[in-house]
Amino acid sequence: MNAFLIPDLLLLLTPFLVIAIRIFTRNSKPAFIFANLSFLVIFVFLNRLVLGDEPHIFFSTWKVDRFGVLMREILILGAFLGVWFAKDYFDHRADHKSKLTQMAEYIAALMFATFGGFAVLSATELLTLFLGLEIATVPMYALTAWNKTDPNGSEAGTKFILMGSVATAFELFGLSYLYGFAGTLELSLIADAVAQNMHSPLLWISVLFLICGIGFKLTLFPFYTWAPDVYDGAPTPTTAVLSVTSKLVAVIFLMVLIFGPFAAIHSELIPFLSLLAAITLFVGNLGALKQNRLRRFMAYSSISQAGYILIALIGPESLARGAVAYYFVVYTIANYLAFFIFGVIGRNRSETFESLRGLSKQSPVLAVALAVAAFSLAGIPPLAGFLGKFFLFYSAAEAKGYALILFAVLNNVIALYYYIQLIKAAWVDEPETEPEPLAITLRQKVVIIVLMIGTLTIGVLPFLNTNIFRIVG
Amino acid sequence: MTLQNCLILAFLLFAIGIWGLLRRRHLIGMLISIEIMLNAANINFIAFSYFSAKDSTAGALFSLFAIAVTACEMAIALAIIVTMYRRHHSLDVNQLRDLHD
Repeated sequence: MNAFLIPDLLLLLTPFLVIAIRIFTRNSKPAFIFANLSFLVIFVFLNRLVLGDEPHIFFSTWKVDRFGVLMREILILGAFLGVWFAKDYFDHRADHKSKLTQMAEYIAALMFATFGGFAVLSATELLTLFLGLEIATVPMYALTAWNKTDPNGSEAGTKFILMGSVATAFELFGLSYLYGFAGTLELSLIADAVAQNMHSPLLWISVLFLICGIGFKLTLFPFYTWAPDVYDGAPTPTTAVLSVTSKLVAVIFLMVLIFGPFAAIHSELIPFLSLLAAITLFVGNLGALKQNRLRRFMAYSSISQAGYILIALIGPESLARGAVAYYFVVYTIANYLAFFIFGVIGRNRSETFESLRGLSKQSPVLAVALAVAAFSLAGIPPLAGFLGKFFLFYSAAEAKGYALILFAVLNNVIALYYYIQLIKAAWVDEPETEPEPLAITLRQKVVIIVLMIGTLTIGVLPFLNTNIFRIVG
Repeated sequence: MTLQNCLILAFLLFAIGIWGLLRRRHLIGMLISIEIMLNAANINFIAFSYFSAKDSTAGALFSLFAIAVTACEMAIALAIIVTMYRRHHSLDVNQLRDLHD
C-alpha cells in the first residue's frame, strides 16, 4: 500500500480547494477554517504513519523516511502558525500600512511553498530536488509583494525576485555540471560517481556553483545582503514565513546534497562550511546590533541563526539530522512567539523598538512572553533554545570542530546583547509619550500563551529530544 | 561540434548574463540577463545529454522542466515589476532606495 503518500497528496490538493471554496463563498472565512482543518488532518495523518528503518519509495522518485516525516511535521507546524499569524493582517491595518486582501490566495500560496518543502524532502533525484526548491521559492516572491498599496512591498519583491532568480541560475548551472560529471540524475548513482572520482574539476565547479546558489536562499555570507531589505519591506506575516519555512527548505536542500551525493567529499567540504558558518553568524550578529526596526532586526537575527544551523552540518549525518530537526522545532516556536508579540504591538503603532517601551506596565504577560522568546533565541538555559544550540554544537564536536564551536559560543555574547535590547526596551525604557492602548484578539492570546509554555517546557521535557534523536538517528 | 565547444559557449553565455546583470540599471534588461544565465545552464544540460551522459533522456527532460520553471519565475517577476512601475513610473533600479540600513 502507498499510504505514506496520503499526507503529501492531501497537501497538494488543499491549496486548490482553498481557492475553490473562496470562489463559491462571500468572504474568506470558510477558506480559513478549511485550511486550518486540512492542516490538522495532514498533521494527524503524518503522525499515524508507521515507517520502518527503510525509506518507502514510490516509483523510484518519491521517498518518505522517518526524518522526512518529522521535517514534514515541522513544516506543517510552521505553515499553520503562519496562517494564524497572517489572519490579523487581513482583518485590520497594522504597522501604519493598509490591511492585506485576498486571504484565501495567500493561504494557498503558503501551502504550495510548504509542498515545495515536502518535495525537497522526498527527492531521490536532482529534478525533484530542483523543482521542490523552486515550488518553495516562487510563491515567496508573490507573498513578499502581496501588499500592492505599500511601495516598500513592491521594492522588496523586486529585490527578492532579482536575487532569487540569480540564485536559481547558479543552482541550475551547478546541477548541470553535476549531471555532466555523473551522467545521471539519481542521487545514489551520483554518490557512487563522486566516491570514485573525488578530485574531478567538474565536480568541484559544480559544488562551488551549488554553494553559491544555496547561499543566497539560506542567507549565508556573502550572499545575505538581500535579506534585511526583503524582510523589512515584506508584510510582517511574510517575514515570519520567510524566516521559518523558507529557511527550513533551504537547509533541507543543503542537507540532501551534502549527506547524499557529496557524502564522500563531506570531510573536504568541512573547512568551507565552517568558514561560511563562522562569518555568517558573525555578520548577522554585528548587523543586528544597530537596528531599530523590528523586522530588520529579525532579519539579521535569522541570518545569524542560519550560521548556527550550518555549524551542525559539519557533523556526521545522524547527529546533524537530529540537531537540525530539534533546532527547527525550537526556532519555529520562539520565532513565531516573537512575531506574534510584534503583531500585537504593531497593530496601532509602527514596528520599531520605540513601540516596545512601556510594555511591561501595559501588559506584563506580553512583556514576559517577549523575554522568553528573546532568551530562547539567544540560547539561555533552561529554555528550549539552549538545548537546541547545544545539540548543534554537539554535532560539530563529533567532527572535531572545536575552534568553530568556541567562536560560535563567543559570538553568542554579542547575540545575547542585542536580544537583551528587546527586553530592555520592553522593561526598562520609559515611553516618551503615553503609549496607545494595546488591542489583542483571543486567537493571539491563546497562541502566545501556548507558544510561551512550549518554549518554557520543551527544553526540560526529556522525552521530546530523545524521541527526535531516536526517530532520525 | 564537440562537447568542449558547447561548454565554452554555455560558460560565455553565463558570464555575459552576470556582466549584463551588473552593468544594466534597467529592470527588464536585468531580467533578460538572468534569462541568458538560465539558458546557459540549459545548453549545458543538453550538451551533456547529447555527448556524454549515460542517462541521456534525463538531461534533456531537465532542461524542459527548467524552461517551464523559468517561465513561472518571469511571470511573477513581471507582475511585481508592473506594480513597481505604477508607483515610480520608471524601471530604473537606482530608485530602489527606500529600504536601507
